[in-house]
Amino acid sequence: EDAERISSADVAVVEARRRLLNEWYAWRESIEEEVDEERAALGLPDPEELLRKKAEEIEKARAAAADAEKAEEEIVE
Amino acid sequence: MRPILLAGHERALTQIRYNRDGDLIFSVSKDQVICVWFSHNGERLGTYRGHQGAIWTIDIDPTSTLLASGSADNTIRLWEIKTGKLLKTWDFPTAVKRVEFSEDGTKLLGVTEKRMGHLGTIVVLDIKPDVDAEQADEKALTIVCQESKATVAGWSYLSKYIIAGHEDGSVSQYDAKTGDLIYNLPIHELNQPITDLQWSHDRTYFITASKDKTAKLITAKDLEVLKTYTADTPLNSATITPKKDFVILGGGQAAMDVTTTAARQGKFEARFYHKIFEDEIGRVRGHFGPLNTVAADPTGKGYASGGEDGYVRVHHFDKGYYDFMYEVERERANKLAQAQAQAGTATA
Repeated sequence: EDAERISSADVAVVEARRRLLNEWYAWRESIEEEVDEERAALGLPDPEELLRKKAEEIEKARAAAADAEKAEEEIVE
Repeated sequence: MRPILLAGHERALTQIRYNRDGDLIFSVSKDQVICVWFSHNGERLGTYRGHQGAIWTIDIDPTSTLLASGSADNTIRLWEIKTGKLLKTWDFPTAVKRVEFSEDGTKLLGVTEKRMGHLGTIVVLDIKPDVDAEQADEKALTIVCQESKATVAGWSYLSKYIIAGHEDGSVSQYDAKTGDLIYNLPIHELNQPITDLQWSHDRTYFITASKDKTAKLITAKDLEVLKTYTADTPLNSATITPKKDFVILGGGQAAMDVTTTAARQGKFEARFYHKIFEDEIGRVRGHFGPLNTVAADPTGKGYASGGEDGYVRVHHFDKGYYDFMYEVERERANKLAQAQAQAGTATA
């Protein structure tokens, strides 16, 4: 009987957690969709995009610097 | 989860922030120096010197180009991260308690202290995200806090709102373009100051920490309290971990209120709670004084805490941390994996 009572309490806890988890992900889905739509409407960039662009710029500058160095070496020869 | 101890500051830490890539940690302290460290090994890369008072706050722009700091010397300073060059100084009538860049790095807000003859304000500065550009002197916007001074503030998603936490425990939502107050809600216990406000990765919700011993998870859109985390000590800081659904809280009674033995044993703890279920799931000891600031690595690899004891402790999460799951979380993960596998066979 005790074991039964405990397990039914456990079931209730697990049920409550399942509900909380579902509520959370339902809210995440709706807010992410809403923000994506607003962002597109405003024409604002995704912050992740800024980071990617910056990384590309740095890479380009590095490549250019490496090229310049190579060119210099050739002149010396 | 053995921590790396960063011993470079001479006085109490006030704020720690990771850059967006998570490879650098910036820390400020009452010792007037900004430090930057490699997060993976704790090696100090450099310092930024120039402030003439305690530094209360710091932030890094989204591309890790610019660094902003606010200090008891009544200035906000803008630095080039790579060279350490001071690019701009803005003067205010009172101390600056919080700075934060908007999501795209084109705006910076500052929270100024209230003092005889000066109400607390939130100022907005336009930032050119270019180290060679001349930065504007004028403020783009000033919000005056008539009721209760702001202690912390930040930018929501799309830089749509400025959200502020106040000394009286309330939270405000302002229109970020006009500065108009939209809501002011009594979120924390009356007259228990809000000590920290940190964002989720997409800035749609945030966590507040308060001296009322609770931290709350709140939506940016309508200031709805989603979750409450209850601690047994006044809180100074709270942060949201990416990858795992946890939050980390830091606080503790000031040294004079605790027995010296407890303090000597490094018993001040960072507290982990489950973000969705609100349960406390673990504590990490180590500091010899209250935790003034906690920050989560945005890549999810670890976290750092800064104490009244002057130390920064950097923790890298181990396998057990990533494996930890509630039954219902595992159930959901399995369901998702199954659905994905099915979708995979359907398209194949």
